Amino acid sequence: MSWKKVVGLIVAFSLLGLTCVSAYEMTPERKAWLATNPYKGVTVRILTLKATVSQPLFILGRKWEKETGGKVEVVEVPLAAFHQKIFTDLITGMGEYDAFLTASWYYGDYFSAVEPYIIPIEKFMKDPRFPQWDPDTVLPAIKKLLTWGGKWYGIPNDNDGQVLYYREDILTNPEYRKRFKAEFGYDLPVPPKTTDQFLDIAKFFNGWDWDKDGKVDYGLSMHLKVGEQAMFHYASWAACYVISPDNPYFWFNPENMEPLINSEGHLKAMEDMVEMVNYGPRAMLAWTLGEGWDLFLKGDAIFCFTWGDLGALAQDPKESRVKGKVGATPMPGRYEVYNPIKKVWKKYDKVIQVGNTTGGSWHPVISRYSKHPEATYDYCAFMAVKENAFWNFTRGWTGVDPGRTFAFLPPYGTASIEDYVEQGWDPHDVKPYTDAYYIDFTNPLQILYLRIPGGEEYWRALDFALGKAASGELSPEEALDECYKDFVRITNRLGKERQLKLFRESVGYKG
Amino acid sequence: MKQKEGSIKRVFIWIIIIAGTLWMLFPFYWAVSNSIKPKIETFNPGSLFPYINFQPSLWAWDKVFTQGDPIKPLINSAVVSTATTAIVLVIGTMAAYALARYRWNIIKSKDLTVWFLSQRVLPPVVVLIPFFIIMMKLHLLDTWRGLVLVYVTFNLPFGVVIMREMFRDIPVELEEAALIDGASDWQAFTRVSLPLAVNGLIATAIIVFAFAWNEALFALTLTSAKAGTMPVYILSARSTRGVLFNVASVNTLLAIAPPVLLALTIQRYLVRGLTFGAVKE
Amino acid sequence: MRKGYMKFVFLLPAVVWVLIFTIYPLIDSLRLSFFTYRLGMGVGEFVGFQNFIDLFKSPDYWNAFRVMLIYVCVAVPVEMALGLGFAWVFARELKGKAVFRTIFTSPLFTTGVAVGYLGVTMFHETGGPINYFLSFFGTQVPWLSTGFWATVAILLLDIWRWTPFAFIILLAAIQSVPEEMYEAASLDTASEFQIFRYITFPSILPAFTIALLLRLIEAFKQFGLVFSLTEGGPGRTTEIYCVLNYRTSIKYFDFGHGSAMAFLLLLIVMIVVVQFFGRMRKIYE
Repeated sequence: MSWKKVVGLIVAFSLLGLTCVSAYEMTPERKAWLATNPYKGVTVRILTLKATVSQPLFILGRKWEKETGGKVEVVEVPLAAFHQKIFTDLITGMGEYDAFLTASWYYGDYFSAVEPYIIPIEKFMKDPRFPQWDPDTVLPAIKKLLTWGGKWYGIPNDNDGQVLYYREDILTNPEYRKRFKAEFGYDLPVPPKTTDQFLDIAKFFNGWDWDKDGKVDYGLSMHLKVGEQAMFHYASWAACYVISPDNPYFWFNPENMEPLINSEGHLKAMEDMVEMVNYGPRAMLAWTLGEGWDLFLKGDAIFCFTWGDLGALAQDPKESRVKGKVGATPMPGRYEVYNPIKKVWKKYDKVIQVGNTTGGSWHPVISRYSKHPEATYDYCAFMAVKENAFWNFTRGWTGVDPGRTFAFLPPYGTASIEDYVEQGWDPHDVKPYTDAYYIDFTNPLQILYLRIPGGEEYWRALDFALGKAASGELSPEEALDECYKDFVRITNRLGKERQLKLFRESVGYKG
Repeated sequence: MKQKEGSIKRVFIWIIIIAGTLWMLFPFYWAVSNSIKPKIETFNPGSLFPYINFQPSLWAWDKVFTQGDPIKPLINSAVVSTATTAIVLVIGTMAAYALARYRWNIIKSKDLTVWFLSQRVLPPVVVLIPFFIIMMKLHLLDTWRGLVLVYVTFNLPFGVVIMREMFRDIPVELEEAALIDGASDWQAFTRVSLPLAVNGLIATAIIVFAFAWNEALFALTLTSAKAGTMPVYILSARSTRGVLFNVASVNTLLAIAPPVLLALTIQRYLVRGLTFGAVKE
Repeated sequence: MRKGYMKFVFLLPAVVWVLIFTIYPLIDSLRLSFFTYRLGMGVGEFVGFQNFIDLFKSPDYWNAFRVMLIYVCVAVPVEMALGLGFAWVFARELKGKAVFRTIFTSPLFTTGVAVGYLGVTMFHETGGPINYFLSFFGTQVPWLSTGFWATVAILLLDIWRWTPFAFIILLAAIQSVPEEMYEAASLDTASEFQIFRYITFPSILPAFTIALLLRLIEAFKQFGLVFSLTEGGPGRTTEIYCVLNYRTSIKYFDFGHGSAMAFLLLLIVMIVVVQFFGRMRKIYE
């Protein structure tokens, strides 16, 4: 135990934060406001989860303290207890915390009481005394997560979505390409665009040593342990089986709250996912998120579809052996898509690719019990101004993934490859990564995020279904039927009318 | 049991004893050996022996203490367990004395004893929600006090029932002599009985301490960031990047060391403690 | 036996404490099981026995019940048998016995959560020592990724942890069997096993029963080890009763079903314990 090291780390982080964050444009109103020392004696308390994504709260918090004279207290809690801690604070009205770095799937619960537990922020956004961030820089898919019923509640921060990472070096290897074509009859597409191509490639590369390191390698790597976040893998993958220009709904029928989760399209997606498990190590069924990333980072898997963290982690030479070899592309799509409302399959002339914002997309919301909503908003907005957000995005170790226009490369945004290379990225990996996310977040076809009360329970039911199907305990059909029954049961327990109303609000259904 | 035993039988017996002991020791050894493995050896299952298979290093210990924060949970566990033990010893021993030394007419002493014992029969999960709600309303969530309140409730049976048996073992004449000499009941209790029952108190204390330290369900429900005890800490340590065997071993050792080490010191009265006095050494 | 009012002074703090902190929560738990509860809306409407009926109709409930039953019916007998066996072997003149005995009792004081966590490393499919050891025999076992083997892993860990409990109790019991009992037998050159079966075991039957009862009571409460090792997975195959109960109550804030589930467990445990009740009263005469 070396306390010197701890102190050294803190100092290093602080210096890093202080030197690399550039000052931002302050409005004259803000300068005047700060001169009045408005937050003297005020402590903003934010509850967050114990993960890398919370690190910037500390660093930027200290900067904010210097700028405004207020104080920030960040309280970390493990993910397993996070939801519970937030809501016991809110139910009891204790109001110990001013803000929560919330997951998007908690939103339904915030709006489950007669008066919502979080406050709208539009009045703060318009106020020139607070740090300014442009809502138009927030990509459309993310914007949907930060608003409810058309009003803004969340301040932008992390932007989660899953894209497909692949080993470009291996997929472009001429000898392997020749063998692939011989076996499957078509040129190995780099990157794969459809789910069938993905499955073929994963199958082809599974079970032999294609990187000549003496160990058997795999087609893909994925975490499937129940109680983690495996259900997001299913959601990202299955989106293109049921979402199309003719149907945007994945979870429920907005007319009657009937769960769609066991439709034919969902079933085919689950069957393909179960097949996918054969193309990776069997032990995946007990892996946590990090373990799923490890296999890809060690260089032993071709594919991994997951969050932006993987792209950033791949750049760290201490953790990764694949720096400079990583390609990224939006999730594969399909030509033939099922419409669960009309109950028909339809074939399209082009690949239907669907974007997703699966994951937490951890961002601050303000508790209605906060005694200092202005100071709280000030702190959160400070972290969202362009300069600070950009700093966050380019640094992999912050766990904050890009989602604002200025994080992306031309023609989509204003960043440059050098910005990323400065932070340790290999130039080869930058553009595919940022392009993939840009396309994902701006895709007009999106799997609409499930944000109704009981979100935790619904997502968990899907998690169980996936776990049971993947382990072979149930057939995919049985697993999804069970999930359907769980959805019905949860909906009825929470009140079907209320759930229907909130579901419509969360997706902006106009009837 | 005196028996003439053939030497073959002896060998056989010793084999069983050694095998059994190795089995009991293996997980501890695995944890210790892993905790001093350097980073690259982490997933190498074949390297079991320090200095023979690998060079020991304190890398994992360093990592746990600089990147994690096991100090706070250790303190929390220590405070909660000690406070629980203290309260249980005080009011439990008092109650035990009453049950051992005094006559009870309406409800028999043995019935009261069994009633206390039945608290242990109650599965904690039955009172999980009510306690959660109570703590929520009293604003005692994530505090030491909240957890201590719950743990004393669950562990009072140990204090009461074990100490009752201990007191019944002590000849009553000594106290009666003191009473005749003019001591009050309270003085007889504190000056005569308690000192004689010290060994039993120690055994009870360690058992209660261990049970409080090891409790997971309520710790997980009622505490998190501020007052989280070792079980809470262990459960949250898993979810970060991959399972590093050496880091996991360090955390495990930190969590199990105090009660296990304490228990090694009390072989006396251990059986009596664990069986609530029903079986004596 | 003394008389006097002091007995109340001594007794009451403990009694009052238990009454407040046990009776009130128990009643509250029962009450909640007859209502629904929703996050944000508080306690809802009275639904009578509907919560219980929902549980009986739920395959997840029966799965959790099944897992608990397997655990109790396999782990406890094995622990008692192994404990008895080791106790019998240890109960003789041996040098250095005390050291081994001390080592034998240590697993008992470990916390289930930590043992489960350690178990994740020991049963790790590619890097763990158990599969490494098995590889010398040409097999590998998919421990934590298969329902069956995950259950086996839980049982193995639990047996390691609780066999010492039976062991030290039965050892003490065997050692306290008076010598006179054996003197008659050795005249008849009975085999050691016969001596055990006809003299030793009947003498230690009370201690055996207590150990069995106490172990059973603890077994129904099993939570930490399972939750830490598998969290109920893969899928729900190892979701033992208390894990499901915890999830329902605290993660989903479903107090109605959670309370009902907990009360059913209480009933089950009481049914088991009542068998031993008469004997318990006799011990504390």
